[in-house]
Amino acid sequence: MIARLTLRYLLVFAIVLALLSAGAYVFLAREYLALLQPALGTPEATQAYRAAMSRVTLTILAFDIPLLAIVGLASWLLARSSIEPLVEAREREREFAADAAHRLRSPLATIAAVAQAAKPEAPDRFAQNFDTIAQAALDASQAVGELLTLSRPAAAQLLQREPVDVAVLTKVVSKEFEARAEQRGLLITNRAQSAIVDGDERRLRELLRNLFDNALRHARTAITVDSRKNGRSVYLLISNDGDAVAQAYRERIFERAFSGDAQGSGLGLAVVRWIAQAHEGDAFVRDGEDGGAQFVVRLPCIQE
Amino acid sequence: MIEDNASVAAAVRTMLERRKYAVDVAADGDAGLEHLLRQQYDAAIVDVVLPGRDGFDLARAARAQGVQTPLLMLTALDAVENRVRGLDCGADDYLVKPFVEEELFARLRAITRRADRPVRETLRAGTLEIDAAGREATVAGKRLPLGATEFRMLEFLTRNAGIAFTRERLLEHLWEYDFEGSSNIVDVYVSQLRRKLKNAGAGEVIRTVWGVGYKVEV
Repeated sequence: MIARLTLRYLLVFAIVLALLSAGAYVFLAREYLALLQPALGTPEATQAYRAAMSRVTLTILAFDIPLLAIVGLASWLLARSSIEPLVEAREREREFAADAAHRLRSPLATIAAVAQAAKPEAPDRFAQNFDTIAQAALDASQAVGELLTLSRPAAAQLLQREPVDVAVLTKVVSKEFEARAEQRGLLITNRAQSAIVDGDERRLRELLRNLFDNALRHARTAITVDSRKNGRSVYLLISNDGDAVAQAYRERIFERAFSGDAQGSGLGLAVVRWIAQAHEGDAFVRDGEDGGAQFVVRLPCIQE
Repeated sequence: MIEDNASVAAAVRTMLERRKYAVDVAADGDAGLEHLLRQQYDAAIVDVVLPGRDGFDLARAARAQGVQTPLLMLTALDAVENRVRGLDCGADDYLVKPFVEEELFARLRAITRRADRPVRETLRAGTLEIDAAGREATVAGKRLPLGATEFRMLEFLTRNAGIAFTRERLLEHLWEYDFEGSSNIVDVYVSQLRRKLKNAGAGEVIRTVWGVGYKVEV
């Protein structure tokens, strides 16, 4: 980043310097021509003019080259002094977010553990309350984790990559949701075809979980998973037969802390997009082929 | 249970005792290590953030002194580096706090099942050596840089040297799912492993068995 800014400063200066040098050259050329006007046309004058102009060129270069070197160094110093505080501030912010997440998680862990331990001892009419307390603590902790993720720019260096077959992963994750889907009378159909992505398996699992979680909340009777390959990209399609997402909300639902409904942290889809973008892909929503909503995740895949 | 937060320690103790486990609680790393050295436990649950010696340090020290007790690390730090570090220190598994009771017991059952294996175990195939507990593979003494899944595949094949596995069976074992469709992921990993092994000079460790799949020669 410092190198890029240095180059930019240097480029601006080089352009200014080139313009000034060209201006000086043209000005001097005219002055000499005017001076030599009376004798113009004689071979001596032409020779004198040429010699004078080549001295001018050399003098200008003799100024410009060291000047460029000095300005290069100055640009670098300037770039460093303006960027370093930003880098430091960002690093401090990141540390703060990580520290805040940790500090929030510890008491939430206590709440969850104590509530779960207390539940079996509680009289029946309170047992449910302990479940609610534990679940709320677990939900809050998940939201803290999502906020921590979203506090950082979606960047590839935050991933631990290895080849992952995303179709296999959709099967693994949909299995986790089978019981909940059955409870709600929903059918999950998976037609995804093998596609290998150089990705972070844990993050991609999180992405799929968030999409299944979303689909489960909005589907009427069915959730379908499918995939399309197109050149170097694989498109994962997770559709549900609930209501289509209104045009006005299609971008907003992927923003941090926007929730179209009361359930969930409202961060799930923002995390989906974050993870897709960290993999140099993207996520969006459109109308399903037979109505409903279709969430699309594009990921670059490995050529086989 | 090695945990400095008294409320969490008491809660986990209640959960464990309800399932008929006997529990000792240590509130800091040094006391925890002493317990591990003095007594043979079926498993230890170790918090990462502890006063004095932290959880990573405790695991490393315990393993260095020959403690074979399976260790389950509890961490509120969800960062990848932390989890990897925990396993590198000799812990058997990790659980992110806050946790669901069922998951805690599932992990405990899993690590105690694995406990009958010796801690220091070396698998060999030619010049390839795999330190199963240290999660490290070497070729002629030189460290082979492997990803987590690559390591698991090489370990699985080497542990079962001489047996040929189909792609489906490897997929099922490594990704814990039987995928009805066809996936090339197994071949991708095998070719990566072969490339790395070849670069390290290990020769042909993983053989193709035509019509079946892959195996490591005894």
